[in-house]
Amino acid sequence: MNKTVTITINGEIFEESVPIRMLLTDFIRNIAGLTGTHISCTLEGVCGACTVQINGEAVKSCLTLAVQADGQEITTVEGLATDGELHPLQKSFNEHHALQCGFCTSGILMNTAEFLEKNPNPSESEIRHALIGNLCRCTGYAHIVAAVKGAAQ
Amino acid sequence: MYPAPIQDYAAPTSVDEALKALSSFGEDAQFIAGGQSLMQAIKARLIQPSGLVDLQHVAELKGVTSDGDGVRIGAMTRYVNIVGASELDGAYQALRDAAIHVGDRQVRNRGTIGGSLCWNYIAACMPAVAMGLGAEMDLMSGDGATRSLGVEEFLGAPLETARNDGEILLAVRVAAAAANTGSAYSKWGLVADALPVIGVCVRVEVDGSGACANARIGIGGLASGPRNATAGASALNGTAADDEAGIEAALAATADEIDTQSDMWASSDYRKQLIRSTGKTVVQAAIARAQGHGADHPHLQPLTI
Repeated sequence: MNKTVTITINGEIFEESVPIRMLLTDFIRNIAGLTGTHISCTLEGVCGACTVQINGEAVKSCLTLAVQADGQEITTVEGLATDGELHPLQKSFNEHHALQCGFCTSGILMNTAEFLEKNPNPSESEIRHALIGNLCRCTGYAHIVAAVKGAAQ
Repeated sequence: MYPAPIQDYAAPTSVDEALKALSSFGEDAQFIAGGQSLMQAIKARLIQPSGLVDLQHVAELKGVTSDGDGVRIGAMTRYVNIVGASELDGAYQALRDAAIHVGDRQVRNRGTIGGSLCWNYIAACMPAVAMGLGAEMDLMSGDGATRSLGVEEFLGAPLETARNDGEILLAVRVAAAAANTGSAYSKWGLVADALPVIGVCVRVEVDGSGACANARIGIGGLASGPRNATAGASALNGTAADDEAGIEAALAATADEIDTQSDMWASSDYRKQLIRSTGKTVVQAAIARAQGHGADHPHLQPLTI
């Protein structure tokens, strides 16, 4: 069964009739064509690669149906930079070499961007606690933690 | 993985509308709260709902309020808001201990206390906390009739509760405790903030003589469902708050009275050891809070969400 939804993604309004069972991840990737939001584990919601912000809060878009986002504002990694200027986190990830394959990066950016808004000066243990929902299998996290700390400063 | 097909969806803004929508969708319809467990179950085809009634916009189900009778937590109150609820201190602080370490930031931004209690997953924190605090559940059925159930009656074996089909959980209430009462919760899992292999919640009063009184001990992570460890609590009552050996003896009594299972995560004996070791930290934190210090107990330090 389908339902018509109106979802704003990075300021652009998408109005579509979608199956009720469509995941928000698939709406973002396939309807809006924004493939910076990644799919990895898809079943358990453990990897965090699909993390986006709904009304400014980090959530896993694979554990959310598109219909649940009806009328709400989504921000994906494509919406993080403003006026062509990279977000401080994006700059810091670059400077600290906080990514190798980069698959997990967009989810980490969308999670930690909200984290730093709530906690602008976090300790290392708070940063590590904040990263629990995002799996990275390349870096060992040391550079990611340094990058988040660097963006906070 | 793509979820199973879903025929109907509604996003009501009141409890009345939510109950009507659920009834109109037929018997296989489900409420969806934060969806952090339910979506996994739908994707795994453990549940194939005919329709979903999304409770995220029902404002009357959200929020923490407190008065002289205790605290009331709306069923749709999210973990992130429980962590930030300053009224949940002292006798209620176990709720925040648990909420800050549930899942991860993303889960805490969506997951709700009511969703967790109605799902009653074996490896969940809120059922054990509700058991340890002696919470009560307020329910409403489709005809508007309400009833309240104590936690022992509400929570059954894993994935089972006394909530009837068509009934909605409105709120979780914890009655006010005597002054000088504290509570705490901690879990043990295989990695940081993992699902609990064992979770222990303790609420205890420290009376005028410096002894423990009115103790409750809730244990989670059990194949038989969350347990109220009454023998352990009785053993704790009367024990001096600074009597470490007495506290250890009470937790040994707790481990003895609980049937623990062996599985891929831990043997039965190891679970009993976890009840004793994790429990000791929790009892000492609850005592410190009862005595008016120890909100930031070193082993249960709250972190910024």
